[in-house]
Amino acid sequence: MSSTAAGPGYIGMVSSIGAEDVLTLYEGAKFYSPAVGDANKASLTFWLTGLLDRNGPVDLRRADGLPEQTPCISLCVLGSGAALADLPPAGDEFALAVQRIERVARVTFGAIYPLAAATVSALAPVAAASQLGLPLLDADGMGRTFALIDHTAMHLAGVSPTPLVAYGATGESVLIDAQSASRGTRLLGANVDPLGGWAALAAYPTTAGVLRRAALPGTVSRLVNVGRLLLERTDPDLLVARLAAITGCHRVGRGRIVEFEQLSRPTDKTIPAHPSSLVIEESGERGRQFRIELRSEIVAVFADGLLVAGVPDVLCLLDVSRGEIATLDSLEVGDLVDVLVTPADGLWYSAEGLAMVGLASHGINLDHPRRR
Amino acid sequence: MRQRHPTLPITLAELIRIEPLARAHVAHLADPARRVEQVVLAENFDRLRRSTPHSLIVLHAEAATGGWALATALNLAWERNASAVLVSRAVAGPSSDALAQRLNITLLGIDGDPVDLALQLAGQISAPDAARALRQAQAAERLAEQTGVRGVLGVLNSELGANVPVALVAGDVVVAGRASAVARHPGVEQVGVDLHGPGERPWARLMAAVPAQVPGAAEQVHALLLLARPPLLAAWAQTRLNSGTHAAHEQAAFGLLRQLAGRSGRPVPAAEAADVEAPAWNSELGWQVEGINRAVWLAPLRSAGEPPPELTHLVRAAWQRGHPNWPLIAEGDGWISWQSSAGTEDVVPLRRALTAFRGAAAAHGLVVGVGRPHPGVSGLMRSIAEARLVAHVAREAGPGAVRWFDQVGAPTALAWLPVAELAEVAELCLPDLMDARDRDALVDTVLAVLDCGGSLSQASQRLGVHRNTVLARVARSRQLGLAFDDPAQRLALHVLCYALAAVRPERPGPGDLPDEQGLPDPGRG
Repeated sequence: MSSTAAGPGYIGMVSSIGAEDVLTLYEGAKFYSPAVGDANKASLTFWLTGLLDRNGPVDLRRADGLPEQTPCISLCVLGSGAALADLPPAGDEFALAVQRIERVARVTFGAIYPLAAATVSALAPVAAASQLGLPLLDADGMGRTFALIDHTAMHLAGVSPTPLVAYGATGESVLIDAQSASRGTRLLGANVDPLGGWAALAAYPTTAGVLRRAALPGTVSRLVNVGRLLLERTDPDLLVARLAAITGCHRVGRGRIVEFEQLSRPTDKTIPAHPSSLVIEESGERGRQFRIELRSEIVAVFADGLLVAGVPDVLCLLDVSRGEIATLDSLEVGDLVDVLVTPADGLWYSAEGLAMVGLASHGINLDHPRRR
Repeated sequence: MRQRHPTLPITLAELIRIEPLARAHVAHLADPARRVEQVVLAENFDRLRRSTPHSLIVLHAEAATGGWALATALNLAWERNASAVLVSRAVAGPSSDALAQRLNITLLGIDGDPVDLALQLAGQISAPDAARALRQAQAAERLAEQTGVRGVLGVLNSELGANVPVALVAGDVVVAGRASAVARHPGVEQVGVDLHGPGERPWARLMAAVPAQVPGAAEQVHALLLLARPPLLAAWAQTRLNSGTHAAHEQAAFGLLRQLAGRSGRPVPAAEAADVEAPAWNSELGWQVEGINRAVWLAPLRSAGEPPPELTHLVRAAWQRGHPNWPLIAEGDGWISWQSSAGTEDVVPLRRALTAFRGAAAAHGLVVGVGRPHPGVSGLMRSIAEARLVAHVAREAGPGAVRWFDQVGAPTALAWLPVAELAEVAELCLPDLMDARDRDALVDTVLAVLDCGGSLSQASQRLGVHRNTVLARVARSRQLGLAFDDPAQRLALHVLCYALAAVRPERPGPGDLPDEQGLPDPGRG
């Protein structure tokens, strides 16, 4: 990894990702999707580290650092992380998915970009770029993860996700060419299970020129920067202060988990999730009662019943005793946690953005605190 | 009845005592005195945001899904200064209870259709006095059906529940109901209603102990107690009417019995005892006189003529609590009762009755004398005479004292000595002794010597002094006029010494003796 001190860029920009950056990238990717467990960590990071060791570092480019007409394709892991652990990737799914679209669209891609720079979907494009010998764009479509593949900045900018290819670990693939993004999502959803519960997805084929305005810039560099802080394992207060400088996050409060509620409530059918809540009793004088609403991630934080944060904010819990981000499957009653709120990209707080990924999509019909 | 403005808004405390909220689970009660002016059926959060203060918010549809929705509803209710939030019992949990407590907003959980509940509550809140009156009217109806004291208290108990004990108290004695109603506790407010007998004289008090943290409850309970007053007075008047007749009947019958025995209270020689046959009308009164009779004389501490009928009534209530068939006849300044049994040894029921009566005796300032067991009607008269004598001895020990003639015996006579007058006689007859500074020691010494039949050594042992001291004091006494060697003077001087020792204020009285049965001092016997 090296930072560009000179030339066009921004503070903290990263110009390449090498084998030594894999763990850092992984930690940063976890911060932006804290719901995901660590089940795949060892095999994925080992595989990617080996790949980067053999092929050398992957170039990380800004969208405006490439010629305008350079064809680009986004990659992500579609489906559940648990399925990925059960059926490990063969390793070539992502590259093959890209090549499949190249054949269909009769185009040769000049760069790869992450559909969502978080979780394993942040690592897969690096692997594919390394395998295909292409640069990686320092930009993505979500700046975090959302549940559906049409929840992207590209979609909001009018870029079609299709033609798209879902490539399974079984060696089979599904090509989808649909008129609208929602139809594409629908058709894709029906095919994930037969492919083994997860698939490598190549979608949103477009050009670097379009991505200059249609993608969220700098989101891959940010993962590396955040990951570096998280790996330092400093005192939680210092960590939060440093994270705030990079991500703009703030701590809503610190408290102890007192209750874990499993409630079956009606929820939006399109988002596969099991609603439940965490109740946290705030430490110190204020002693507020935090209620953390969970779907497949943390979607809202209430303090004494008042909504103080909600998606598209990135909400995570920092395990105070360990000084690391707590994954949702590791929480226990009695844990002392910091509730951290990180703003998502401004795009998601627009009316269109909130309509797509806001609280209402999780059945919470309250105004977002940032729009009150 | 306390005045209430008919349009005064109903309070939360009043609402949760009547259906449907009476069956609600109170997760947190912030302020029972909080008024409720309106019901808001909130199906979403917008409706909640538009609610006015002092509303009872019934959550419904989207707002009633629990979890974050209930937390948000509680927060909005707090923001809108609602009086309470009503939610389906199924969705409330420990965390919502905790949040309600933290925001200090009343949270009630209830089963049932929220729309129906809201309608029902809206009706109650729009006519607050109607809701209050409904409860009282239902209670009044049930109270009116009762004719006995126990029935009235039974209705009050079922209306007020286990948390509000009720008792009927005459003087300090709980006549009926639960004694916990009169016990004073920090968290309890006592509500009482006076019951007046003839001539506005207080007869009894109906008391209830109301948990103090529910202020509305005290007024409600007071209103209920007032409603209970007429049936209670009626029930009491009825029993009093009955007992008044009964008492007159008993008194007349006892007079006849006494005439049959041919004596009026004076001791009857044992030989004549068995001659009188018990008349048949005895059994109509429930009396038993054929067996062995042991009489009890209940007497006021200070004799002050015939006791008032109210006191007779109270004493009867207390005395007959365990033994409704035992007689109680007002006689002179006290009351006669007796136990009739097959054998002379059967004193257990009487002892139990006396133990149970001890509290009432102390409260009314009574003493008790118990005669010896004698057979038949004339035996009864004899036992009564003994009981009366020994009751006089009991007066020395203060209120509540019990003395048995068996244990006191002949020294009973001493209780009848006019010691004060005798002491005055001593002033005249023994002026030298009375002027002596050590007269108390001299009187005690001579009394001891006479009590011990002239034995100086026994007297010195009893007094705890040396024999020579006794000898010296006796010699000095003689010089001062106590010539008890003279047979003609000995009895008089013995009586005078007893009287002088008895009137002395610091003299240890029989009440200070450890034995409560008042066994006489063997030294005096």
